[in-house]
Amino acid sequence: MPKPSIVANAATYRVQGDTLVSDVDLEIAPGELIAVIGPNGAGKSTLLNLLSGDLHPTEGKVLINGIDTSRALPGDLALERSILTQREPIEIPYTASQVVAMGRFPHRRDETNTREQDAEVIANAMAQTDTTRFANRAYITLSKGEQTRVSLARVIAQATPIMLLDEPTTALDVAHQERIMSRVAALAGQKTVVAVLHDLNAAAVHADRMVVMSKGSVVADGGPQEVLQADLLTAVYEQPMVVVDHPFRNCPLVLTAGHQDPT
Amino acid sequence: MTASSESTHDSDPYANRRRWVGPVVGLLLLAVAWGALSLGAVSVPTGEVLGVLAHKVGIDVFAESSAQAEAVVWGLRMPRMLLAFTVGATLALTGGVLQGLLRNNLADPHLLGIGPGAAIGAAIGSSAGGVQGAIAGGVAAGVMSAFAIRRLTRGASIDPTRIILSGVALGAALSAWAGFIVFAADRATVPPIEFWLLGSLAGSTWRAFGTVIVFVAIAATVMLASARILDIFRLGESDARHLGIDVDLVRTVILIAVGAAVGATVGAAGVIAFVGLLVPFVVIRFTGPLHRHLLVVSLAGGALFVAASDLVARLAIQPIEIPVGLVTAAVGGPVFLWLLTRRRDA
Repeated sequence: MPKPSIVANAATYRVQGDTLVSDVDLEIAPGELIAVIGPNGAGKSTLLNLLSGDLHPTEGKVLINGIDTSRALPGDLALERSILTQREPIEIPYTASQVVAMGRFPHRRDETNTREQDAEVIANAMAQTDTTRFANRAYITLSKGEQTRVSLARVIAQATPIMLLDEPTTALDVAHQERIMSRVAALAGQKTVVAVLHDLNAAAVHADRMVVMSKGSVVADGGPQEVLQADLLTAVYEQPMVVVDHPFRNCPLVLTAGHQDPT
Repeated sequence: MTASSESTHDSDPYANRRRWVGPVVGLLLLAVAWGALSLGAVSVPTGEVLGVLAHKVGIDVFAESSAQAEAVVWGLRMPRMLLAFTVGATLALTGGVLQGLLRNNLADPHLLGIGPGAAIGAAIGSSAGGVQGAIAGGVAAGVMSAFAIRRLTRGASIDPTRIILSGVALGAALSAWAGFIVFAADRATVPPIEFWLLGSLAGSTWRAFGTVIVFVAIAATVMLASARILDIFRLGESDARHLGIDVDLVRTVILIAVGAAVGATVGAAGVIAFVGLLVPFVVIRFTGPLHRHLLVVSLAGGALFVAASDLVARLAIQPIEIPVGLVTAAVGGPVFLWLLTRRRDA
């Protein structure tokens, strides 16, 4: 078995007496696409922050490609993992390609990495996300969907073996959601991808594996067929749920139900 | 709004503007330098100014210059001009750096309270050791004020306007303390309160310039070397961290550099307001947002703005000289107001 990309070992995160993530064990293999799902406040983003090294576990530990995040230097982590977060507004008019180029920053000390290579990686990342066309436009003037694609291009340009995505499709319409998710799915295989997702069906279609969080703990971990069970989801989301087969994709389809519906 | 319609081969829509902004600022600097050396209560003709300068570098090709011209041009106006350039360059550079570091277009070293804080140390230093004491005291207190700002701005998302309000409040309180010190001190050695609060280059000496330039050169090197890091800070602190930047270390180092450089200028010339706010605000329209262009041109633009303002301060109401900070505030204040009102709907 290949060396795992990310290992969480009894990882716990407490802040001021609240346990946000409790005793999580995870082993993520290279090339996997993992979706982290669960209701608001379940600890998904905190878990992602632990897996990225942004937060250090207060107990237990997290290893990224064998590096203990609690002792890692920021520059070393930046060569192993890239992260797409919720965007904060940028107040000055960087062009889209300038934003993508910033993804190359961690490679500045690599002597084998030439200016031409940087340019090529940036161009490829923009081609993959369909953003080449507005390379010279100011990032702030782009639509939400376009901005997300540019940010994704920046994350791709960082060229790390691991990619972490925090709600990459939030605030996008269904067409853009589907486009972003297919691109992310196309990257998995070459890269390890961990994505926090709200859309259970997008997760079901694209993820190899799903991790369900509830009240700070992992309550289910497995393939979509295995994890997306009506009773589990109903309990976790405190909302009646139905799971049926997708009409033609080989995966489950999750629907909400009313409290009076015959579930 | 940007020049993106110009179809250049360069990937940057500001590339064309950048080509001419450097030479234009350079020419304006030359014009201001001529004014600064030639004009004043005693007008020195251009030929004689050049004669003095040539003589000082060891060439005596121009007409013999009078001892009086030499005393005025070399002894008084030259250090004053160089100090104006240095102070202006420092304030504009630190303004641009703080705006990037704090992701806040309203950031300015004096509005954040660093200048007024430095004035306390400078006034104390001044009573102990003249202008060099003032500069040393300004540097120490400037660094301390920068750390106060660091505490105020800790935390991921603080409302930018609130940071400025805190800075203004802090600055008002610190200015009052500087005032107490000035009034308690010996009037023969410590400059009066309007020097500290409104700024003046009237007392410029070679010694003051020589001391300030040492601190400024070191601090400016640190700041200019951080240009690419500041580009990334503008994306947000978490993005900076994700790209491998040690955010706390960078903030600490840059704020020390800012505090030291600004403190040195306050020791030599008091608090000259709004330069750090105004210059990068104008310059970014010509250079685009990348800090390696923005900071270098701001440096030159700040030198130009303060030296030109000082010329106005000297010549406007002759023979009375007005504090240079009044001139910079008269121009910068309205721009600051406009920026504040525009924020809401931006």
